[in-house]
Amino acid sequence: MADMVARLKDAVINYEMETIADLAKQALKEGVDPLVAIDKGLAEGIKNVGEKFGKGEIFLPELVMGAEAMKAALAVLEPAVPKGQHRASAGKVVIGTVQDDIHEIGKNLVATMLSSNGFEVVDLGVNVPAADFLKKADETKPNMVAMSALMTTTMPRMAEVITPLKKKNKAVKVLVGGAPVTDTYAKEIGADGYSGDASGAVDVAKKLVR
Amino acid sequence: MAFGIKRGVRFQILSDGDLERIHWGTLHILEKVGVQVDSVACRKLLKDNGCEVDEKTRICRIPSHLVEEALVKKKASITLAARDPKYDAKLDMNHSYMTANGNGAVAVDFKTGKRRPSRKEDVVNSSKIIDYLPNIHIHWPMVSSTDQHPSVVHLHDLDASMNNTTKHVMYETGVTLSDAKNLTEIGYIAAGGEKEFKRRPIQSCLQCTYAPLQHDAGVMDASLYFAEHGVPLVFFGMPQPGATGPATLVGSLVVGNAEVLSALTMTQLHAPGSSVIYGMGNAPLDMRTTIRAGGSPEHAISSAMATELAHYYDMPSCVGVSATAKEPGDQAVMEYYTGCVGPLLAGADLMCGVGLLEDSSCLFYEEIVIDNEIVGAIARLIRGELANDETMALDIIEKVGVGKNFLAQKHTINHLKAGEHFMPELIDRRSFDAWSTSGSKSLVDRAKDKTKWILENHKVEPLDPATQKKVDAVIEKAKKPMWGGETKVA
Repeated sequence: MADMVARLKDAVINYEMETIADLAKQALKEGVDPLVAIDKGLAEGIKNVGEKFGKGEIFLPELVMGAEAMKAALAVLEPAVPKGQHRASAGKVVIGTVQDDIHEIGKNLVATMLSSNGFEVVDLGVNVPAADFLKKADETKPNMVAMSALMTTTMPRMAEVITPLKKKNKAVKVLVGGAPVTDTYAKEIGADGYSGDASGAVDVAKKLVR
Repeated sequence: MAFGIKRGVRFQILSDGDLERIHWGTLHILEKVGVQVDSVACRKLLKDNGCEVDEKTRICRIPSHLVEEALVKKKASITLAARDPKYDAKLDMNHSYMTANGNGAVAVDFKTGKRRPSRKEDVVNSSKIIDYLPNIHIHWPMVSSTDQHPSVVHLHDLDASMNNTTKHVMYETGVTLSDAKNLTEIGYIAAGGEKEFKRRPIQSCLQCTYAPLQHDAGVMDASLYFAEHGVPLVFFGMPQPGATGPATLVGSLVVGNAEVLSALTMTQLHAPGSSVIYGMGNAPLDMRTTIRAGGSPEHAISSAMATELAHYYDMPSCVGVSATAKEPGDQAVMEYYTGCVGPLLAGADLMCGVGLLEDSSCLFYEEIVIDNEIVGAIARLIRGELANDETMALDIIEKVGVGKNFLAQKHTINHLKAGEHFMPELIDRRSFDAWSTSGSKSLVDRAKDKTKWILENHKVEPLDPATQKKVDAVIEKAKKPMWGGETKVA
């Protein structure tokens, strides 16, 4: 059984996107605890991939393929987790690109890097209206809301979320990013953290959520 | 001397067969995969003209004949006029024009050297610098006036631009219908009326499509308005090879081409004969740092190939250059030189743009001055050489003979004065002694000196007070609360 967990970890490290779901099914069949498979297998694997990317040893597509492999296995393992049990998590994050902005890659990268560092990520996608951020934050009670804007014209949309969000829940942290966003601007609109790139976003998130 | 960079040298990357394959492949993608069109008006337009439109996914599949017809209908000869007609940029396939880069949100303060959010004064100053420099021909509002009310930031950008340069102003901020209306109105006022503007468009709008294969609702609604109201458009595809387009540069060219041609098709269905320029700026995503690799050789060659494709369509090109450097100096020079020389050698009609670092987001005033020098050197490189009696100078060689020199020949001074040799202003070719006794200044130091001189000495005639009053009124009228009645300024 330990062997199956190790194989799942390796399957993430080796980006086995097409075959990892079958491996996960086999693990369940052999009686592996799905939580152990996730925490000791998949999470360890993606952590390894994330570290290698951070050090510049592998390229971005490899990180993304590792994340895709993890996602495919999670789709099999998560429904098998008994009710009431939870994955070990560094914190819960609701993430999205703001309304009128459909730039996806930066936001996806941050989401991938956060999950590879143990965060539980709820990804709302792109062109997300403020109301949707607020609704999801209400439903899922995250530790942090992360927003991306890639245009000077959509940047102000972030403030549209922050003001009512903070009014309702002082504890929730807000992380913002995107090409035109600066540290000064982030402070101005009341965000708790800002980062210029995905790896930096993880460091900021870790500091904000602990 | 004519305005713009005269070009006589051209290298070719794609063969005629390559271009035909790319065109065919693009039509195939438009028919089979389609593009996502978020604008309701555009979807109706496409549907009414026989496209297969899925209202749920917003995907529109465009038959090739519509694209071919649009290529025939578009305006063939475009001149980007200027407030001062000596700066009119004729896109005659024989001259290249450099534009500024635009829409950054950060500036490094010229006096304090501190990085800070950009302000209207930065738009004013950069416009003055662009107005002065001879190798930058088209102005863009380089940064955003983030110290102004957020709902009218981009109207202030245009206001500051057109009052501080008499060159053509191209903006990239017409991203909603109301923006388009206000920007157009300001353009009409500055030109002295709608008729005047349509005859001599002193402003134009660059619109970005969204890779892969998407058109934003606001951008396309605005584009139809611009097309109908005589504001020339650039549709600018920018798939990032490996990320929002295939890793292969030609594959990403197909994706960008599908976006540009579908946008062209929509504008020509709505406003036949409107002015559209073919734009593209495909810089790969750097797969180690996740930063867009502006100024990379791949960016340069993609812009060069896009130019060849534009010319295959009998359209002028507007292709991209940028830099990832964080400050002026060696890396910025290398990136801007690489990024400019490739496309200009391939005959780019417009190149956007110079002066911003951190991939088009941060303004250093002196970077504009450095890039002006880079373009000057490249202009000499691409001008073209001729072997005729005058240039071969057999009579002069015979006259001077063996072992003498050509310094005292009239032929020499005449050709120097005609610009045979590029005379740099920032490159220091003096001896070590001369250089060190005058302060051992770097190229960046010299650029700062020149920038300071321009800001202190160069004057630009603003709009007359009566016209300005009308512009101010448009801006005032456009002001509206941004969210929940609150307004915040960075």
